[in-house]
Amino acid sequence: MLDLAGRTAAARQRSPLRRPGRRALIRAGVIAALLAFALFALPQLLSLYYIDAMTQVVVYSVVTLGLGVLVGRVGLVSLGQVAVLAIGAWVAARLLFATTQPYPLVLLEAGVITMVLGTLIGLPALRLRGLYLALITLMLAGAITVVLTTTNFPNGGRGFLGYDGATVHIPAIRRPAIAESDPAYYRYAVVVAALMFLLVLAHIRTRPGRAWAAIRQSEPAALAAGINTWFYKLWAFALVSFITGVAGGVLAGAVHYLYSINFPTQDSITLLAVVLMGGAYSLWGAIIAALLLQFLPALLNNWGVSADWLTILFGVGVLQVLLTAPRGLADQVPKDLARLGRLLRRRPRRPSATEGDPA
Amino acid sequence: MGTRKHRPGVRAVVALAAVIAAIAAAGCSSSGSSSSGSSASAAPSSAAVSTSQCGTKPGVKATGTPIPLGAIATNQPGTSFTDIPNMAAAYFACVNANGGINGHPIKLYIETEQTNPAQIAADAKQLVQTDHVVGIVGNTSILECTIDHSYWEKLGYFVVDSGIAPECYSTANSAAVNMGPRYSSDGAVQYALSQHVSKVVFDQSNVPGTGYIAAGPAALAAAAHTPIVQLTENVPISDANSVAIKEVNDAGPNGAVILNFTPPEALVILQAAQKLGLEDHVKLWGCSTPCNTDFLAKALGPKWDHKLFVNAELTPPDATNTPKMALYKAILAQYGKSVSGGVGSFSQMGFAEAEIMVHALESVTGAYTVASVNAAIKNVSNFDTGMLCQGWTYGNFPMHIPNNVDYTTTPNNGQMVTAQGCTPISSADPQIAAYRKVAGTG
Amino acid sequence: MPSWQLFEPFIVSGLALGGVYALSGVGTVVLYQATGVVYLAFGAVGAMGALIAWSLTNAGAPDWLAWLVCVLFGGAVTLAYGMVFGPPLARRDPLVKAVATLGLTLVLFGLMDLLWTANGGQSRAITLPTDNGGFMIGQVQVTWTQVIGLAAGVGIVVVTTVFLRFTKLGTAMRAMANDREITATLGVPVRRVEAAAWLGCGVIAGVAGLLLADLVALDATTLTFLVISSLAAALIARLRSIVGTFLAAMAIGLIHDLLTPIQSLSNFRDMTPFVLAAVALLVLSRHGVMTASREEA
Repeated sequence: MLDLAGRTAAARQRSPLRRPGRRALIRAGVIAALLAFALFALPQLLSLYYIDAMTQVVVYSVVTLGLGVLVGRVGLVSLGQVAVLAIGAWVAARLLFATTQPYPLVLLEAGVITMVLGTLIGLPALRLRGLYLALITLMLAGAITVVLTTTNFPNGGRGFLGYDGATVHIPAIRRPAIAESDPAYYRYAVVVAALMFLLVLAHIRTRPGRAWAAIRQSEPAALAAGINTWFYKLWAFALVSFITGVAGGVLAGAVHYLYSINFPTQDSITLLAVVLMGGAYSLWGAIIAALLLQFLPALLNNWGVSADWLTILFGVGVLQVLLTAPRGLADQVPKDLARLGRLLRRRPRRPSATEGDPA
Repeated sequence: MGTRKHRPGVRAVVALAAVIAAIAAAGCSSSGSSSSGSSASAAPSSAAVSTSQCGTKPGVKATGTPIPLGAIATNQPGTSFTDIPNMAAAYFACVNANGGINGHPIKLYIETEQTNPAQIAADAKQLVQTDHVVGIVGNTSILECTIDHSYWEKLGYFVVDSGIAPECYSTANSAAVNMGPRYSSDGAVQYALSQHVSKVVFDQSNVPGTGYIAAGPAALAAAAHTPIVQLTENVPISDANSVAIKEVNDAGPNGAVILNFTPPEALVILQAAQKLGLEDHVKLWGCSTPCNTDFLAKALGPKWDHKLFVNAELTPPDATNTPKMALYKAILAQYGKSVSGGVGSFSQMGFAEAEIMVHALESVTGAYTVASVNAAIKNVSNFDTGMLCQGWTYGNFPMHIPNNVDYTTTPNNGQMVTAQGCTPISSADPQIAAYRKVAGTG
Repeated sequence: MPSWQLFEPFIVSGLALGGVYALSGVGTVVLYQATGVVYLAFGAVGAMGALIAWSLTNAGAPDWLAWLVCVLFGGAVTLAYGMVFGPPLARRDPLVKAVATLGLTLVLFGLMDLLWTANGGQSRAITLPTDNGGFMIGQVQVTWTQVIGLAAGVGIVVVTTVFLRFTKLGTAMRAMANDREITATLGVPVRRVEAAAWLGCGVIAGVAGLLLADLVALDATTLTFLVISSLAAALIARLRSIVGTFLAAMAIGLIHDLLTPIQSLSNFRDMTPFVLAAVALLVLSRHGVMTASREEA
């Protein structure tokens, strides 16, 4: 039976850990090259409009990465990630206004506080599974959204909430001294995001990753094998809450002004849609999902096409993914390209272990 | 697990996509127009006015190098302000067909946004860096003034807009043709106070800036020694009944309930009050300027005639027969195909802003650069837009509230009619007092 | 603490709100009982039907025709979705099926904003003839529409419960929700039963959409995402009991409105559905893991 991210039980068993071989080194080289391109070449090629859009892509790629880990690796669907992002942004904004701490410290604190809150909230929810878990995360996100709408985001005021409702001049959230301009802040965001991706990769390649794979394959079997499923699921929540909190901090500096209307509950639904479309299992899928979520709208806005077409596209995409390409674009496009390549070279098709997925 | 899976899904999805495309293509023409058809015009036949008055050389098409201008407007589900820059574009089209600005046509680049701060900042940079606009006119956005004002200040743009956020009125680089939520609410509260109510309940939507908006009515009520209750509601409102009951309870039989919401939300609250039978349980109801549409008057029905008093920041179009009002309606009819709301405050604002811009541009000698155009904009002084109670001035001030005199209207037989003519907003609001001091209008 | 008299009108409005939540919540759960799908697109389908009815009325069509089209639209869209996407997903986890309906929700939501744009200063409203009459309870007036809304909720609960329990078709539906393949081997015409379930739910969505557009607002965003709040009621009933959903919805509506006059809590009252659902779920699951997998449905 397939789960939401569409990996068969057999397929999952066939990917044990290997020591880095030549292929892995080539892959690492490609990633490094792409990173260098994103850091140095891209800001030169794009106008400020698209650099701003790409900064959003970078921020949200960490969020989609987190949701991808939960959905694809552990098998937990959370419909509350936008609320977690909002909490991270709130904490970062409050600290940035109230203190003069250096930016990396603020990001770390935002991540840690969000991690603590996320874990506390995730703790009792772990007794629920599948549909119930998804729906309760939606409920919790709804509650947090209402609270944020009433307490608002910090805007330089005093008191715990740091919100001054009557001001006629709202101060901007500051950026790090080395990254004041938009291209510089974009590079800053790329570095932070890369660190988050590395953190997640480190988890996936070591014990937690194996435990998650076992849990997603079959939780009773994992339990029987002696894995403390509850602990590892909690760890996943903690990790995802941490990176999303850090992403919230980067978002605060990117936009300079935070409003509760920018974190509506229904955005969590769109987030799930793009994560499914991009591919919840692959780390590349997170980047594709973020491009869908933040780059495409900027592109369409520039061309004068209504954003509603994107909403429709996401809806169709979700249906398509759930029906036919459960592993999303990140998996489908290379496969389709490979198939095309083979067709062109007229080589016989090699049957892959994961093909012919049953319903 | 080796059998080839039958994939009905792909065909299904393609079929779904085709159906969607068909519906969208078919629907595109219908509903947009049908909904605007209702309120548009008790179409006055005075549209026999020639639109060529808008330009300096009637009938001569402008063919020189275009003058690029920019606008940013909110356009998202439930809120669309695109009518305002679209009307400005219509005015510019008229000018371009009748001589242009010294032979130069105006090109207006309109960017839309969905209240996303990153997007709004990006839109501003797009206009400046890619479209090379020399002036900004027609901005109407919930957040734009807050997000972009330091950018405009840095580059020396003096924006002519329809303000909503506090910074549209409190900074040096923005001047609005409208009064915005705070000063319009002031006007509504002021009228209620003038009717000697014993208590005021001020309820507004919980969008950014509620404290700033509430401070105005609070100051007015304090100056009149009348207690005021401040409420906010999360929008969109899903339970209007409890909102209406709460407002009526708090106001009491001799009190007033003043609303500051967008028309759909205000309509829902007022209709709930009517369905609950509560509309007569307070002395009067008031509303800030968004409620000033004939459509609302018709939707509310006769129970609200002379019961609801709406602050109107622009001259009522149906009751006025000046040449400028006739020109406005004529340009709307001839060039305003993309203005879906028809005759109303949105298109009036777009008209006024475009007028001001053209007036400024016509005074520029030499090249049309950011410096020359914006200097001309700042020099606009006591300009008669035909849409306001008084002349409009930009000026070199640290803050701008050039529209601070308003009307009050009330529904009557499905139309909004004037209940009180041009009345200055009270200087009890400290911001109004501060502006009058710097502008020297006392 | 405000006096009793201050609370009294809120009891009436709270029951009315409960009726709204019940109508929406029962609609999402009713299909779950028959096909194992939590129909999250319930709100969007109803909203689009209501907007179509509004357009027809605006263009001059008679009211009854507009309403009929709205109901038929709800039935048609839901039936089409069920027939096309139901069978391929039938063996998947209820979570997958629910997320698929989210896909439908997004498609409809995008379409609605494209076709019925937010014009400057315009607002749409649906008024039913029952809006103008009513009776007084204490200080406030209750319109016939609110009574109908409540009655519709009760009606749906009673009819579906009786139908599912006591009729042959209903039993077949419940069997199918449990295990489609085995039911098929028993000779039940699976596709026809499925079609009946989806059509029934779609018709309910159309009717509810019309009522909710009148009782709440004719706004695509509000009506589409009303399901999130009404889902709370369904969750409290653990998605299993239609009667439970109804009662939970009434309770949520009541509590929500009763919080209104309490100054310190008033602005937070929109949290009521979410907090109640979260608490209820956590309490109900304290003895063990709660899952809605196929084996348990």
